[in-house]
Amino acid sequence: MSQQRPLSPFMFPIWYRFQITSGLSILHRLTGIALAVGSILLAWWLIAVAAGGKWFAATHELLASRVGLLLLFLWSAAFFYHLCSGIRHLAWDRGHGFELRSAYRSGYAVIIATVVLTVLSWLYVFLA
Amino acid sequence: MTDSQPLSNQTALRDGNVLRRVRHLGSARNGLKEWQVQRWTALALIPLGLYFAASMLRLATSNRLTAAAWLSSPVPALLVILFVLAGLAHMMIGLRSVLVDYVHTRTRLLAGELLVRGATAVLIGASVLAVLKLFLGR
Repeated sequence: MSQQRPLSPFMFPIWYRFQITSGLSILHRLTGIALAVGSILLAWWLIAVAAGGKWFAATHELLASRVGLLLLFLWSAAFFYHLCSGIRHLAWDRGHGFELRSAYRSGYAVIIATVVLTVLSWLYVFLA
Repeated sequence: MTDSQPLSNQTALRDGNVLRRVRHLGSARNGLKEWQVQRWTALALIPLGLYFAASMLRLATSNRLTAAAWLSSPVPALLVILFVLAGLAHMMIGLRSVLVDYVHTRTRLLAGELLVRGATAVLIGASVLAVLKLFLGR
């Protein structure tokens, strides 16, 4: 017997504009979930390496395909974003950077660092 | 607060904790410990995660080094095992936060907890077994 209580209107994006603080926060959660799903792929890959032979060949073929590379690219972007944003969170946990200006600056730094790390990694993969 | 009433499905997160009455000393739950483990694993995952990412880049671009050979040497095997342990523990705590935020009935929360904990246990076990198999060479 669940009562139908009135819900507050879903605030984004009509009544409450996205800011870098809220946007990066939800992105931190979303990338976390994406990485969690990716951990299944990680375990699969480790098992395939251990099993060798047919399993490894098939897995490698999947990962090296266009879809596989796209997934790896997205996963790496999620990883670098969650890493940089996580460091921002750890700084907050120590009490640093709560001023609005600092939060905005660190937010932009996280975005730039994510893009740089992802681009550099994939340039290295394709050019080295 | 009586114990004779059955626990309601709607109040999964608001039921009083009986232990709190017994211990008289603040919260009797494990929230702080989880919060701390999340931060310690996060800290460990900075070097471990970067090491793992760099290793993947190396494997992807090397013509001679294979993943199997790489994992059969002790330092990579150890660091990958530590990465898996820290990463999956961190993942489980994070997923529990997501569950607690979005699941509001007791039975669904229990199902979600079982799923997340079970999946984490299987993933940790399988990954560590795989690395050990490569390292021990059987």
